[in-house]
Amino acid sequence: MNVLRSYISRGTSGVLQIPEVIVPCFIHTTAIRKTFWEKEKKSGYTSNVTLPSRKDLIVEGFRELKKEIQLWKDEMKEKLDCDPILVYRPGETDVVFNFKNESAFDNWIVTTDADHREGKSTAKLEMSSGGAGLFHGNVNSEHVRDGIVKRTGYANIRTKRVRRSFKRESTYDWTQYNTLVMKIRGDGRSYLINLHTEGYFDIQWNDVYHYVLFTRGGPHWQLVKIPFSKFFLSSKGRIQDRQGPIRLDRVTHFGFSVGAKNNMDGPFQLEIEYIGLEFDPNHREEFAYEMYKTDKYIVAT
Amino acid sequence: MIRKLANVFRGQLKYNGNSFQNVPPTWYSETSKAFYCTKSENESQAQNDDSARGGRGKSNIRKPPLPAIQNPFANVTNKTKESYLAMLEIFEERDVHRRNHVEFIYAALRNMADFGVEHDIEVYKALINVMPKGKFIPTNVFQAEFMHYPKQQQCIIDLLEQMEDLGVMPDYEMEAMLLNVFGRRGHPLRKYWRMMYWMPKFKNLSPWPLPNPIPDDTLNIAQLAVERMCTVDLRSKISVYETKNVQDSIDDTWIVSGMSAEQSQLLRDHPRDKAVYIEGPFLIWLRNRSINYFTLRADPDPNLLQSLQEDQEDQDDVSRLKAPFFGASIPRPKNAVGKNRSVHQQEDGTIFAICATGTSTKDSLLSWIRLLESNGNPTLGEIPVLFRFKSVVTAKAIEIEDKAKSDNLQSNPSSKTTD
Repeated sequence: MNVLRSYISRGTSGVLQIPEVIVPCFIHTTAIRKTFWEKEKKSGYTSNVTLPSRKDLIVEGFRELKKEIQLWKDEMKEKLDCDPILVYRPGETDVVFNFKNESAFDNWIVTTDADHREGKSTAKLEMSSGGAGLFHGNVNSEHVRDGIVKRTGYANIRTKRVRRSFKRESTYDWTQYNTLVMKIRGDGRSYLINLHTEGYFDIQWNDVYHYVLFTRGGPHWQLVKIPFSKFFLSSKGRIQDRQGPIRLDRVTHFGFSVGAKNNMDGPFQLEIEYIGLEFDPNHREEFAYEMYKTDKYIVAT
Repeated sequence: MIRKLANVFRGQLKYNGNSFQNVPPTWYSETSKAFYCTKSENESQAQNDDSARGGRGKSNIRKPPLPAIQNPFANVTNKTKESYLAMLEIFEERDVHRRNHVEFIYAALRNMADFGVEHDIEVYKALINVMPKGKFIPTNVFQAEFMHYPKQQQCIIDLLEQMEDLGVMPDYEMEAMLLNVFGRRGHPLRKYWRMMYWMPKFKNLSPWPLPNPIPDDTLNIAQLAVERMCTVDLRSKISVYETKNVQDSIDDTWIVSGMSAEQSQLLRDHPRDKAVYIEGPFLIWLRNRSINYFTLRADPDPNLLQSLQEDQEDQDDVSRLKAPFFGASIPRPKNAVGKNRSVHQQEDGTIFAICATGTSTKDSLLSWIRLLESNGNPTLGEIPVLFRFKSVVTAKAIEIEDKAKSDNLQSNPSSKTTD
């Protein structure tokens, strides 16, 4: 212990006094990851929002109570009604996220690499002149080469966590559908569709199912239909070895990403009119990716 | 061919008594003498130089300290694939132990773009070939499990990741090489297998395939872009015009125009008193190239949209059931046979044509309208055509001005009070 302490003191003072001598020290300038255990869901990328005073919080809480009780009432009513949709007619799109009205935008959160001072990308989600959601901005892969951040240049939108009354977290249940339908107008870039299926345990916190959204570009609207069987699992941006079809009753967030990879720095623009779901009886595929049996201790290591 | 070149090079080395410092600097400049030599070596060299010059005073002129490791790739004058591979060859031949080969590979990876070889599988293979064969293969379970030679394995993983990022597909020879270097339980092998599983799946996924690499010529890019945008209508025709044949045109440039027979018909049916607009510039991306395009459009036809609204009957509404037994028979659905709505008739307007021009100026767009008029759309001469330009520059200027204003306010809040 004493040895360690002396090393630390030498390490800190050494930096101040003799810059040329490199002291073998135990202090790391970069974070070292000791285990795979995660303390919190954001893995250190927390937002520095200062909470209001306790008094304000209590007042605000009571104000929200009214809305929450109303929500709870609606929920109970629906439960007692006991009138679920039993037949999902083919060819009929049920819209989940509609951008026609202004209030829909409150449900979405825009993030870029600039939020944590790791890049210079900008992005906005607002109503376009045509009355649709316009996700636009500028992706920039330029960044400070600090030795930690390897690549930058992304913009992302994501819905807020779906919840029930009294701020209880819940999930979407899309099990009756098998196709994602979107009416969009892009700019020729490819975007990433993200279906987050956040789980309870820390290794499931970053589970995201992805698929590519290719946009045609041009002035015409584009109707996109993507079967859910095409989505593949990844975690923290890495495709996982152990794959499986998406659990559609566990979807927690929905989002789009765009990156500046391979000199694609510049403006981007994705106009979304609606995002819906459809049941296509002709689509029988469960999972689009074949799964081979491999040697032991090779997969997921 | 490369092998031959390398042999030639080696021959030169031998001829010069195997000291490559004396090789006439054809592609390898003199400054790169210190090929991965350490700081102390450099200093001793510098001192030798000083003393050779003869007592010019050591203390007066203080040289800036040299970095510990020099980048051998930065000093190459002729940056080609041949010279890059020759550098690897030199490194391999330099000594038996190939010291610092991990650092060398990292340096080589960083400098690939300068040599224009970052998309070349052959070069990546040559880099993997720098690694010694057989040395890093684990011999027992514990070595295999705890990442035997982690720095070396991570280095090759990073190499593979660079390939993945740039979309360079590995081949089976690379698998054999990795097997020879790291054995069948090596982590780079796992990375390789993952890449070979996923990369072919995504390679040709796009419904609008593009040539790889994208051509550099703007006209070709414009053609690709307009073709891509026109896939919405299979009857679209892409035509390339030259403006020098147009009367009164100032610019001498090209115009790529896309228009279908359906759009022609829509333009013919367009009322003569309603204006059409040339809008733009809008941006379209083709992989990492972007190009501006313009559209010829009109405001949406309210009658058409109205009729579409009327047609829609809510089938779930059971409050107004129409039974055929009482009263009049069920009216047949309107417009069951009749005009279909075209893809070009959108809620936000009717699109008649798309174009990209070489200069993107108003003059070239005017030439485009004239060319459209003379090529099968004579009605364009009777319809008023208006420009609706979306200037990116002014928007940016306003943004900057606003920002400067807000900054001013923040910096001296007293100015607010004086107002």
